[in-house]
Amino acid sequence: MSLTVRELLEDKGLKMQEDHLRILKDRWEGLQVLKGDLDTIQVDDADIGLRNIPGGDHIE
Amino acid sequence: MSKELILKTVDELARLIEGKSISPVELTTEVLDHAEEMNEQINAYIQIAREEAEIFAKRAEEEILNGNYRGMYHGIPIGIKDNIYFKDQVSTMGSKIHQDYVSDYDATVVEKLRDAGAVLTGKLNMHEYAWGITNDNPHYGACRNPWDPEKIPGGSSGGSGAAVAADMSVASLGTDTAGSIRIPSSACGIVGLKPTHGRVSKYGCFPLAWSLDHIGPMTKSVKDAAGLLEVICGYDSNDPTSLHVPNENFTDFNGDVKDLVIGVNEEYFFHQVDSEVEKLVRANIQNLVDQGAKVEEVKIPALQYAEWAELVTSLSEASTIHHRNLLKRPDDFGSDIRLLFELGELPSAVDYLQAQQVRRQLKKDFAEAFEKVDVLISPTLPVIPSKIGEDFANLNGEKVDLIDHMIRFTGPGNLTGLPALSIPCGTKGNMPVGLQIMGPALKEKRILNAGYALEQTNPLQGRRPSLVVS
Repeated sequence: MSLTVRELLEDKGLKMQEDHLRILKDRWEGLQVLKGDLDTIQVDDADIGLRNIPGGDHIE
Repeated sequence: MSKELILKTVDELARLIEGKSISPVELTTEVLDHAEEMNEQINAYIQIAREEAEIFAKRAEEEILNGNYRGMYHGIPIGIKDNIYFKDQVSTMGSKIHQDYVSDYDATVVEKLRDAGAVLTGKLNMHEYAWGITNDNPHYGACRNPWDPEKIPGGSSGGSGAAVAADMSVASLGTDTAGSIRIPSSACGIVGLKPTHGRVSKYGCFPLAWSLDHIGPMTKSVKDAAGLLEVICGYDSNDPTSLHVPNENFTDFNGDVKDLVIGVNEEYFFHQVDSEVEKLVRANIQNLVDQGAKVEEVKIPALQYAEWAELVTSLSEASTIHHRNLLKRPDDFGSDIRLLFELGELPSAVDYLQAQQVRRQLKKDFAEAFEKVDVLISPTLPVIPSKIGEDFANLNGEKVDLIDHMIRFTGPGNLTGLPALSIPCGTKGNMPVGLQIMGPALKEKRILNAGYALEQTNPLQGRRPSLVVS
């Protein structure tokens, strides 16, 4: 199942402007082109994207 | 009315103030008079705080006369971007929604500036919520570029860039999430420094995207930027991203670049660049080579995905911050940022986390590059800023999307958190061109030193913004 930009945003309760929908669709497609398939980068699928710092933000 | 003082750098003024040749009151009056006069044309300030500035200038004058000179920024009038809080004063973030927001505390950087004796002249115009690069603000009016009032000053710290370029503020602070210090610095022909992420506390600054945001100096000279960094840097337990590292004497450099190894990355940082901008940047690199530096080409493979990772990260984080208002009062946002907030609702959690993995790889690639070279030089912007109201730029005769291209070379500095400096390197027609110097984490002094070496070659050759040329 593939949801449209309109469906995705309306599902979140956002009020859409008709003139924004076409631009959003174009920009979203542009982002997918920029992402490509990430095949040519050495990203480790098991790499952590975020850190969990125990005990708070600053460990002394 | 004399305008002799406002043309000077902080470094020059500080010597005069310390030597009691001029008073902070005299200087502040000159800056405020000029700012009020120019603001009708440039719209750099959202609010000029004349009364408060005069009180603090008087206080600085008394302290200095009593032998209590605090340092380079004592008695220096500076305006601050309007997303950085002043206690008990309105900070609008350039928005309608926060038009009456009053913070009950000073941002850490403001507190540090007050401690240094700086005279705060008011709040500067910005792109709404810092989410854009034109500073065409629907609520407070467009800020104009002093080099060409038909053109954008860049953004989001456009008011800071325009105010410093037009001598309406001797120096300033901006914020930078994808280039918002360096873009207006390049567009307005001034110096802009995005420090290492965590070097300067962001406590009391309204966020755009937490993991990418920075605060940094925007000034007339490299020395001024170094001095301002010295004032505002330091660990702050109120900022979760603050680094616990020793402060440095950032002004301690002499421009010696003998044996400096300059990295050049052709595939990304010299791809799709305005031909005259490229020529200027390469000529400036040659200037450093003539002073004893060497050039080495470096590969940074993950840059291929930098634009995607920057956009997904900034869009997602910004839309999270504004999600509730996007649901409740979407019509109170300017149309351009409403669109970006809507776009930021689309990436999935997987998209966001993959972008963070790309960031980690990008940091590794940059670290490998910095094992071979000391600094990395590129254009700050691949294009010359457009006219106000246009959403495209001209790239060697081709119309290209403005925002995508304006953040292309600055975004990697935010993704990696590495320090990056933009300095003027010449002009194309009547507009200034900026050059970016990036360095390893916490090596601000190294990039400042390289910038200073270039500054000594006088790349603008005395050219000044057309609006203030007299």
